[in-house]
Amino acid sequence: MLEVAKLHYAYAGAVAVSDVSLTVAEGEIVALLGANGAGKSTTVRMIAGALQPQGGSIRFEGQDVTRAECHEMVPRGVALCPEGRLIMPQMSVLENLLMGGYTQRDPARRREAIEEMFALFPRLAERRNQLGGLMSGGEQQMLAIARALMSKPRLLILDEPSLGLAPKLVAEMFQLLKRVNETGTAILLVEQNARQALRVSHRAYVLEKGQTVREDRSSNLIDDDAIRAAFLGI
Amino acid sequence: MTMQTLVDGLVLGGLFSLSAVGFSLLFGVLGVVNLSHGAFVLIGGYAAYTLHEKLGLDPLLALPVIMLGMFCLGYAFQRSVIQWATKRASLLASMLLTYGFALMIRNALVLIYSPDFKSVTPAYAFDSLSFGEVTVGLTRVAALLVSIVLLAALAATLRYSSIGRTIRATAQQEQAAALCGVNIRHVFALTSGLSAAFAGAAGVAIGLVMPFSPPDETLWTVNAFVVVTLGGIGSPAGALVGGLILGVVNTMTAQLIGAAFPNAMMFLLLVLMLVVRPAGLLGNSFKGSR
Repeated sequence: MLEVAKLHYAYAGAVAVSDVSLTVAEGEIVALLGANGAGKSTTVRMIAGALQPQGGSIRFEGQDVTRAECHEMVPRGVALCPEGRLIMPQMSVLENLLMGGYTQRDPARRREAIEEMFALFPRLAERRNQLGGLMSGGEQQMLAIARALMSKPRLLILDEPSLGLAPKLVAEMFQLLKRVNETGTAILLVEQNARQALRVSHRAYVLEKGQTVREDRSSNLIDDDAIRAAFLGI
Repeated sequence: MTMQTLVDGLVLGGLFSLSAVGFSLLFGVLGVVNLSHGAFVLIGGYAAYTLHEKLGLDPLLALPVIMLGMFCLGYAFQRSVIQWATKRASLLASMLLTYGFALMIRNALVLIYSPDFKSVTPAYAFDSLSFGEVTVGLTRVAALLVSIVLLAALAATLRYSSIGRTIRATAQQEQAAALCGVNIRHVFALTSGLSAAFAGAAGVAIGLVMPFSPPDETLWTVNAFVVVTLGGIGSPAGALVGGLILGVVNTMTAQLIGAAFPNAMMFLLLVLMLVVRPAGLLGNSFKGSR
């Protein structure tokens, strides 16, 4: 469903991504691993349309979307839950969710989607009128994921969703991603927490200095000595 | 007599509020300081003057038409000039650019309308209402009502409508709004359109109660600055509070201290406010004040 070939991006001369290629198939969970500065965030930001690639191509469901911007990608079914959550601080939980459903023009269906999110995240239902900026880190992360899901994406991209969460919450969140995946949403997951990411995903890519250096089934990578040494700290 | 001064101050304050709210919105959402805002106010005033002189159209009836026209102007101004400047250079560049536009508009107005003072005088311009000792001209009552109704309408739009929510979301967290599927360039241009529409409306209301001439554009830009600093950036309520305070202080100073002192008092107030509460009385809702 997603085919990315030879992406290239440099920030004011500093190359962040030099040669990244990857694919995501229908219903798959794909993990993107790599050290800080390997180019993971830049890659997914290009896929979501938040950055315009300087080279390479992106195809989604058979169509070329290399130059598409966010507001064109969301209606096509690609949603990015950004690193650092980026909650609108002075808006309530409910309003944040409504923004997530921005591309859904039918108010009845938007309300329906909100009820689904409240069922999926009961904590958000309890706090629906609280300002986003006053929530804890874990709650904000839940809200950010729910906001991304509001657009009913066919491909959900998550950038470091476990960052700053307590270990118990991290496990809960990965369970939740599995459930979301079971409803048919493909997931592209950028993670520092390689162990959890490899456990939950079907396949994984390893990025190094802006290039894809390995691709394999997650079950193979989790037993691989080089991967264990580099990412799992064993 | 003090009561009369207070009422006059509130009328003036309503005009200050209305003329500042668009400036405040644009600064709050885009971070752009639009130095041609005062010139936009005057365009609204001259449009009302022309429609009244040439077509005999009542300024209050012309108001929606002028607001619509100014909205389109503001939208185009953002999409062409400001967006180009901020993308290629910086917010500072947009300040220089809008200053340049203010000068061009001012001189264009001098060419078209002459540097003389003009005023909009509908048939009821010399009627007035009396409440006990207080007498208020009908046009003043109309101007105050226009200010309050429009500010309330803007506040409600921002608070409750879908487009208002989108504008607030974009102001608070631009990147996240984009990721929700919002076309940021469009929202910025809409905001600029709203800003210009309210500037135009302020021009119409000003035309009703006082004579105006092209060099006044500086005055209205500066007033907007002071109002926003007093009230707080980005919120209509802040503009209303800041404007009313400024209006009352203005007339009270003229009455009690001397006609030469309102400006001095205004800037004294501005400096005090910057020292005591730089975010303004109600300032917190938009990114410009963070």
